[in-house]
Amino acid sequence: MTGDRRAARIVAAVETPYTRHPAEGTTTETLLADAFVRVLAGAGLDRADVDGLGVASFTHTPDRAIDLAWKLGVRPRWLMDDGNGGASGIQLLQHAMRAIEAGDATTVVLLSGDHFDGDSFRTLVDNYNRTTAEVLAGIPTGGPNVLFAMLTQQQMEAHGLEREDYGRLVVAQRRWAGLNPGAVYRAPLTLEEYLASPIVAEPLHRLDCVPVVSGADALVVSAAGEGVTVRALRALHNHDGQEGDGLQTGIAEFAGGLWGDADAGPEDMDVVSVYDDYPAMALAQLADLGFVPDGDLGGFLRRRFEDEPLAVNTSGGQLSAGQAGCAGGMHGLVEVVTQLLGRAGERQVESARLAVVTGYGMVLYRYGACANAVVLEAP
Amino acid sequence: MKVFVCTSCGRAVFPHRLLCPDCGSSEWREERVEHGVLEAAVEREVRVGAVRTPLGPLAITRIESDAEPGAEVSLDQDGDTPLAR
Repeated sequence: MTGDRRAARIVAAVETPYTRHPAEGTTTETLLADAFVRVLAGAGLDRADVDGLGVASFTHTPDRAIDLAWKLGVRPRWLMDDGNGGASGIQLLQHAMRAIEAGDATTVVLLSGDHFDGDSFRTLVDNYNRTTAEVLAGIPTGGPNVLFAMLTQQQMEAHGLEREDYGRLVVAQRRWAGLNPGAVYRAPLTLEEYLASPIVAEPLHRLDCVPVVSGADALVVSAAGEGVTVRALRALHNHDGQEGDGLQTGIAEFAGGLWGDADAGPEDMDVVSVYDDYPAMALAQLADLGFVPDGDLGGFLRRRFEDEPLAVNTSGGQLSAGQAGCAGGMHGLVEVVTQLLGRAGERQVESARLAVVTGYGMVLYRYGACANAVVLEAP
Repeated sequence: MKVFVCTSCGRAVFPHRLLCPDCGSSEWREERVEHGVLEAAVEREVRVGAVRTPLGPLAITRIESDAEPGAEVSLDQDGDTPLAR
């Protein structure tokens, strides 16, 4: 073994205000630049300290991380692009911490963000990958909602779930969003209002689908300073070649190893963030992590989202805070780091010490192919 | 509709892959499948379904009929887009 396995720590985490209606002149690179300036200020670092830069974005194309390095005036000796959507934040963290452990960089800024206007969201979903453009866009599926509607139908059937079961998760996340000034939807939500929201594709209604926003997130991973450390990080992508039922992610295969590396289990987590592109997938990831040992998903939703609530997706999650494209893959990390640094304001989880964050995404054909997770520890 | 069958081991896939998931071969032949079983369906701009083809792959298709999950459907193709009726 070379390098120091616990050398890297996350010393700052920020999110630009997510917005449904960005100011005129907003572009992906202005959002990324805004996040860069804010995170350096948060870390108390100077631009000249930065020697590593990683970027995750769908809409930054044709530019790459090097274009941003040039325009921001950074001279990185470690540089990386990652466009793996909901897995990109943990993916960038995985590589950045190894770079720091190996001595390739000492101060890495990770940025992620997207700006959508006009037809750019539809263009993105119709051309998400070659397979989508070739065999899905012509149907037209019009994006992932129909695919996740079918997966949700199957999860409901397999576990005897009703819409109100998912509603418990959505309502609980909205309660957190009410405490987060950065969330785009903060008004209190009742289960009745959830059930009455307009249909998208049965059984998914509008409040089961993430609001698309423009925004950016950023982290600083550093070899020095006080910060959040990584106890364990695991990933498994393309675990079943898109030939499974789509209701189990790669997390199920590595959860044992993740908890072993972390020397902790689900019951030890003070804060949890699961990638909530849809309630069914948030639930699937919680089950894959081991939060539902008896397999009773309905009972789990009643117990841990109503009776004795678990601190899950404390920003309001993407369902209430918004999904800024690729930044959705860093949103949960930023929230959890903010909690572990004790800077979560009104929504601060008391004495939060350990947390788990998952990443999930990249719908290649039927469902997300990427999965990763990290167990983080407060300084 | 067409699915892809590995010429060396007979494994069928849809959509196309570069290498066979089972044996790693890159040689495929196209095979027509005319029927399948509808496993799931949803209404959006059009009806969309998941159809289990007899060779194994589960295909996402447009549905141009009132077929409900569990029903046998006929399969066709509009350009590269799979259709079920």
